[in-house]
Amino acid sequence: MEHDEQQPSKAVDTEYEVIEPGHSYRSVTDHISAIVLTRKTPKTWLIGFGVSFMVLSLLLMSLGGLLVKGIGLWGVNQPVGWGFDIINFVWWIGIGHAGTLISAILLLLRQDWRTSINRFAEAMTLFAVACAGIYPVFHTGRPWLAYWLFPYPNTMGTWPQVLSPLVWDVFAVSTYATVSALFWYVGMIPDLATLRDRARAKGAKIFYGMLAMGWRGSARHWARYETASLLLAGLATPLVISVHTVVSFDFAVGIIPGWHATIFPPYFVAGAIFAGFAMVLTLSIPLRVFYKLEDFITNRHLDNMAKVMLATGLIVGYGYMMETFMAWYSGNPYESFLMKNRFSGPYMWFYWALITCNVLAPQILWWRRFRRNVTMLFVVSIIVSIGMWLERFIIIPVSLHRDFLPSSWGMYWPTSWDWMTFIGTLGLFASLMFIFLRLLPMISIFEMRTIVPPAEGRSKE
Amino acid sequence: MTAERLSGMRNKALIAGAAALAVTAAGMAANPDQFWRSYLLGFLYWAGVPVGCLALLMLHHLVGGGWGIVIRRTLEAGTRTLPLVAVLILPVLMNIPRLYLWAQPDKVAHDELLKHKAPYLNTPFFLGRTAFYFAVWMALAWLLNKYSDGQEKSQSDGTWKPKLQLVSGLGLLLYGLTATFASVDWVMSLDPHWFSTIYGVMFMVGGALTAMSFVIVVMSRLVRSEPMAALMKPNHFHDLGNLMFAFVMLWAYVSFSQYLIIWSGNLPEEIPWYLHRFHGAWGYVAVALLLFHFALPFVLLLLRTIKRKAQVLAAVAIGMLIMRLVDMAWVVTPSFHGEHISLHWMDVTAPVGIGGLWVAFFLTQLSRRTLEPVEAHLLEGGH
Repeated sequence: MEHDEQQPSKAVDTEYEVIEPGHSYRSVTDHISAIVLTRKTPKTWLIGFGVSFMVLSLLLMSLGGLLVKGIGLWGVNQPVGWGFDIINFVWWIGIGHAGTLISAILLLLRQDWRTSINRFAEAMTLFAVACAGIYPVFHTGRPWLAYWLFPYPNTMGTWPQVLSPLVWDVFAVSTYATVSALFWYVGMIPDLATLRDRARAKGAKIFYGMLAMGWRGSARHWARYETASLLLAGLATPLVISVHTVVSFDFAVGIIPGWHATIFPPYFVAGAIFAGFAMVLTLSIPLRVFYKLEDFITNRHLDNMAKVMLATGLIVGYGYMMETFMAWYSGNPYESFLMKNRFSGPYMWFYWALITCNVLAPQILWWRRFRRNVTMLFVVSIIVSIGMWLERFIIIPVSLHRDFLPSSWGMYWPTSWDWMTFIGTLGLFASLMFIFLRLLPMISIFEMRTIVPPAEGRSKE
Repeated sequence: MTAERLSGMRNKALIAGAAALAVTAAGMAANPDQFWRSYLLGFLYWAGVPVGCLALLMLHHLVGGGWGIVIRRTLEAGTRTLPLVAVLILPVLMNIPRLYLWAQPDKVAHDELLKHKAPYLNTPFFLGRTAFYFAVWMALAWLLNKYSDGQEKSQSDGTWKPKLQLVSGLGLLLYGLTATFASVDWVMSLDPHWFSTIYGVMFMVGGALTAMSFVIVVMSRLVRSEPMAALMKPNHFHDLGNLMFAFVMLWAYVSFSQYLIIWSGNLPEEIPWYLHRFHGAWGYVAVALLLFHFALPFVLLLLRTIKRKAQVLAAVAIGMLIMRLVDMAWVVTPSFHGEHISLHWMDVTAPVGIGGLWVAFFLTQLSRRTLEPVEAHLLEGGH
């Protein structure tokens, strides 16, 4: 599967570069900064942003309706008290993890292939966390009182229940959002200064000038910068693990069959990275075509991301297997009923679709031929995103709808308001992404310059 | 020089092992039940090393890196000890009813849960599964060693590297499955009523940590003479120390996850496992694990100065190896005695005896081939 004898070794080598040959320092800077500064706003961008913005208004409508009427508009009720709100919260939070993994862990592991994808993967993290945060805050029913979730001295004599993983979530997610935003912004400062220096329009000069915070590129600036990014990477690394671990505790700490499983923490983390890399692929494959970035986001990047996806997908599959085996081995009738209910209950199609999307489909990534087939990769990445959404559906409503007492069983179906909110967050995510692509350098200019081969870099200066 | 050194170490290991085994055998006459329990403890501890070596070797073939090149010979020698491990499990397999409750028909007859599990927990299937695990591990070890030889002889990566990667990719998948079910069979089923879905991960991480610590100790001895003295630089030990650090953290992560989830659920079918292991003196062992299996190595391995000095890092690794045995004893022994701590002197002599034999065999395997790494030319000049 790994071998490919027909390919002459030379071809393999060039295809496995992190930057295509022939680039100099100048061409890298020109290419990336031009997207923001000199090129005219492409028509496709306007159409894409327009459509995303319209979809975003769906979110505003659905949340507006929610504030007027209350969460009775959603499909959640007894016995299924957690539905689309938590499914989509976990789905979006999971997607964010690839950004942090790429920017923090791969930086510490000295993986040079992260360079061209880290900037927009981090942006993706931030936007995904923004989408995720909407759900629990609005699920409280009174989002204007969301600050009650924080422990602060108050006259009401209330204090959050520190034994509840939902409170741990508040801290995990808000720390995650803060550190990710800092990491992203600090990493961008040298590039913002480049844009400030290259901008011709006065407005752009002021805009990037303020964002660049007086960066002059002196040796002292760089030394401080290096220290800061290493420290932030060190801070962000445990977050890759901790955030989704705490999310898994939301379920595993309870005793609902299907939730109370010790494998949940590592299996949730692997699932988050799996979903995150799928989303990075979904975004980077069209991006590199539209903005002609194939030289920077090369086949090697796609190949490596596909491998990460395959590995994490196998871990997720291991989680499914252990859950199924232990449901039988434990001899617990509720656990084994839950499994039977997943396999052949009213939501069985969701379960089998999940297995197809998350376990079967990624197996084609064992073959290099498919990892190099961009269309195929794009399709698999979308299938995995759907699969990871289905996984949260299986874990949340399917575990809740038939628990211990058959007299209190019931079904869960999302309402049109649920769908509007979910599709609306897709619009929010896409709108933020389009604004990011238009205003900020989507690839780290100065880091790309460090991987230009030195001889070539100088010869063309 | 290295050859002499290795054979000197081998003789010492052999003598220590034989002496400890002789003492333990004397104990067998007095207390056969305890002998087999202690033997199982020793076996489980040492079986983790070659299986962990196998996993680390496959991981290295997939992700590359200088850390793997310098320890590749050691890992390969570790995997070649698997036949000895297969021999070492035979006495356990001959005493299944003595060790495992589910193999005692009178107990099973009055226990609904054990009857439910009988299709899985029965002697013939248990033997078959154990044979299968060893078949898979030895086949992987054989292929990896064979291809590695091929790579060395041909002096080119063209044909051998893809083969090594293919075997490693599929091999890690098979390893994940076999190591998980081996831990369920050999250890978890000692408490046949209890279950935990993260158990296999805990054993895989624990085995990798034991193997990594063992490899660091071996490398700290090999680096005293050629060829490793010239090849291994402080940055290689730094990387190995970082890996050990990662496994310490992973061990703490999975152990804490299992504890928190079972503690908060507090279900009668799950919590006894922890009640037994926190009761009385076992509670102090649990605290010792927290302090010396996690907190202390965590702090020490954060320090660059420790990771870059081979001999200092090796001292941390030796401490880790001892704590791994304590952890294994904390997991295994209460299954036999419930909450009463009853560590027997054979719980020390049996692991030492089996370890002496295993280490001697390992050193023989290590001295059979050159220590010069296969891909030594890929190593950069270190700092």
